[in-house]
Amino acid sequence: MEDYFTYTAKLFDPSAVNGKKEILKGIRVLDFSHVIFGPTATRLLAQYGAEVIKLELPYHGDLWRPATYWGKYWKHSNPLWHFITQNKYFLGVDLKKPEAKEIIYRLAETADVVAENFAAGTAEAWGVGYTRISEINPKVIYLSCSTYGQYGPLRFYPGWDLLAQAASSVLSLTGYPDTDKYYKLPDYLGDYIPGNMGAMAILMALYFRKKTGKGQYIDLAQSEALMRLLWHFTFFNLTGKEIGRTGNSDPTMVPASIFKTRDGKFMALACATEKQFAGLCSAMNREDLLKEKVYTDPFERLKPANAAVLTAIAGDWLKSLDAEEIIGLANNKGFPAAEVLDDYRICHDPWRRQRGSVILFNDEMYKELALAGPSAQLSKTPARTKWLARPIGYHNRLVLKKFMGLSEEEISLLEKKRIIGTFDDRPGLKPPVYYNLDEDPIFNYGREGKK
Amino acid sequence: MSNKREKEQVYARYVASGKTVQHLASWGKKLAEVMNPAGKPEVLDDILVLDASYANFSGIIAASFFAEFGGEVIKIEPSDGDPARRMTPWGENVKGVGIPFLIEGRNKKYMTLDLKNSKKDRDDFARLAEKAAVVIETFGAGEMDSWGIGYRQLSQKNPGIIYIAITPYGQYTEKARQFAHFQDSDITSQAGSGLPAQVGDPINSPEPYNWPLKAGMWAGWYISGLHAALGGSFALIHRQNTGEGQMVDVATMDAYSCMVGFPPTIGYTWESSRPRIGVLDFILYPYGLWRCKDGYVVIAAPRDHDFRALLKILGLWKLEDDWRFTPDRIPDVVDTAMVLYKAIEEKTILYTADELVNKALRYSAKAARSKWRGGGVPIVMKMNTPPMTLESKQFAIRRIFQEVKDGTLGKFVINTGFVKMSESPPRVKWVSCDIGKDNEYIRKRYLQER
Repeated sequence: MEDYFTYTAKLFDPSAVNGKKEILKGIRVLDFSHVIFGPTATRLLAQYGAEVIKLELPYHGDLWRPATYWGKYWKHSNPLWHFITQNKYFLGVDLKKPEAKEIIYRLAETADVVAENFAAGTAEAWGVGYTRISEINPKVIYLSCSTYGQYGPLRFYPGWDLLAQAASSVLSLTGYPDTDKYYKLPDYLGDYIPGNMGAMAILMALYFRKKTGKGQYIDLAQSEALMRLLWHFTFFNLTGKEIGRTGNSDPTMVPASIFKTRDGKFMALACATEKQFAGLCSAMNREDLLKEKVYTDPFERLKPANAAVLTAIAGDWLKSLDAEEIIGLANNKGFPAAEVLDDYRICHDPWRRQRGSVILFNDEMYKELALAGPSAQLSKTPARTKWLARPIGYHNRLVLKKFMGLSEEEISLLEKKRIIGTFDDRPGLKPPVYYNLDEDPIFNYGREGKK
Repeated sequence: MSNKREKEQVYARYVASGKTVQHLASWGKKLAEVMNPAGKPEVLDDILVLDASYANFSGIIAASFFAEFGGEVIKIEPSDGDPARRMTPWGENVKGVGIPFLIEGRNKKYMTLDLKNSKKDRDDFARLAEKAAVVIETFGAGEMDSWGIGYRQLSQKNPGIIYIAITPYGQYTEKARQFAHFQDSDITSQAGSGLPAQVGDPINSPEPYNWPLKAGMWAGWYISGLHAALGGSFALIHRQNTGEGQMVDVATMDAYSCMVGFPPTIGYTWESSRPRIGVLDFILYPYGLWRCKDGYVVIAAPRDHDFRALLKILGLWKLEDDWRFTPDRIPDVVDTAMVLYKAIEEKTILYTADELVNKALRYSAKAARSKWRGGGVPIVMKMNTPPMTLESKQFAIRRIFQEVKDGTLGKFVINTGFVKMSESPPRVKWVSCDIGKDNEYIRKRYLQER
């Protein structure tokens, strides 16, 4: 039989991705969502071929367009926004105008999925909520994202990722015990994780619709999504104890912590099983530990006093070795270890580049940018990046003319009445300064005298 | 019921009009009924999922998602049990079952097969896989293949099989080969995918507080499990459309970086890494935790008008001139940013959490009804601990916590219903963990044994 890794190299060949099938081709998504939470759900659909039409208020746009780390722009754009909005169609349309509603309702007739993450109740109030959209299109799958959900006494409370971290109690878990600091999960993880769950819920609804012909309403609260990640509730219910903050140690395994190596690197090391623990003891030349019942019995070993002893022993041992030696021993002896990687090393990691979990994408408008690749690699229908973010209203003509069949006169009337529109001269909203939009065939789609 | 005092308070102008308030009141009531999963169909009631994951919660968690959506999920383990059963905070367990394994025992069936050592058990597994839609495994890359039950072999008899493999470094590339049998854990998945690098105090703070810090929950394993379940869900759509299965490869060293996307893009555009900045934030500010008279509050007032509102309710208007715009509030010099942090703290410690929360809510409610449109929404809330979240009325009404009862494990509360769906919602039907408890049923039903 062919060598396994030769076989898988062909199965997952990154250079073959663009020739493979797109699962969600033909699925249309009407996307009212903004910032990170909702857009992450629709981004995942877009990576698998769905036609995601992102609606934005002309001349303002998504709040996240200008929100970049320390205010540092890249080619007049927020570099972090490209990941969230890749492969989407950008339609600049002013929801407040009645004529805009007509366009949206017409799009809703043909939409398979609608997504929004306004403050709870807002979409209903604006006449684009499930109540109205499901009248137009009863088979629609409608995802509402919010911090606390669409019903219950907290529903109207304003929210962000941070508030979901606070409500779910995730926020109370990271930090060192007996200090006055709690650290939030970084990089708005409280939006990204629920966003991924939103995509999963939509897929389940699509699967259900194919079987039964029925659409449905999805109410996704980011605080509840985060709660799904915690065993702390049942732990408290059963033991009456709170785990609280445990610093750098994982209380479910031992040793399991982040240590410093001889060469000053930070190394995560864990023993999740008895076998891994035996492997570590062998690496440390401390097989004597395996003779003591308090360390061989997995539940005994985890008791805080015993765990502290083992963590200290492991910590001292790691201080005597360089990071590379530890990884070698982990591979040979069979215990988990990994260096703490930062932005730069992740970006430039050859393994990630080969695998496609960090991609160097070459975009028509922005040229080269590094992006995170798919979180799961599918052999037959892989996710892919087709284009990066675009200025507000970049696809106005394409959507109105090609997708909806509007005439040139209708489009210019909508422009004149400022029902549709584009961007103004602010970073995050406009194209890069070197880019000539007049020459762009998509921005000028169907315009006479243009290709 | 029509008592005026019970009327819901709103904090956004768009929902403040009388007609809208009325509509939303009935909409809210309707949802509370419609979103109850009892009696609703289960979307995956037609698929069989085999979870062969071993000593790895990413696989167990991925299987849980399929089980919650109604799949028939069989957890396969050797007769001495998956070591994952023994991973639990401080060794706390119920009859030998750790808490994490217990809560992920939702809606699952249990079968004993020793895939590592028994040829006969592998044959049984292969026969089960002929009927399965999804296989999940976390053995070394190529290990199942070397046993004759990898994707290559299973897909020959069952072209519709979705084969989800989870390992630290994936199923292809030279590194995957070199680290094919590398062991996995939550903390190494967090570290290798870049999470701890962003948590902790700035570099000039005392040790160990300036070290990279892990998230206080299983961020690596839960994210990897979610990635696997999501990848599997996409593959299920393709299978439903075409009958075709495929292989899904998840690397746990991708967990954080592929979830948020920040590390590759910042490493590229900035040609450097972000430093740790403690309780501050790179993009939004104020956005974090502050001490108050009786504990802590969370404050989010990042947009310029939210910030102005915050200054007003805290009596800090004199600061407005210096910190007016977002870029003023997110300087790349930590010491500068700390000036604002401390100025806010000087005020928050004068009040209790309730006082601060009410100040903010009163402001937002008033601003929502005001003709002036620059009001802003300064958010102040309490930070919950798990017992507080368990007691929350919001999550009680939404039935997030559910008491379950099992013959072996007894009675306990678990969290459920992470997403509400009107037609085919996920749910928890039972929780149980007994090793091999469904051997007989599975053999009878799927292997035609008597």
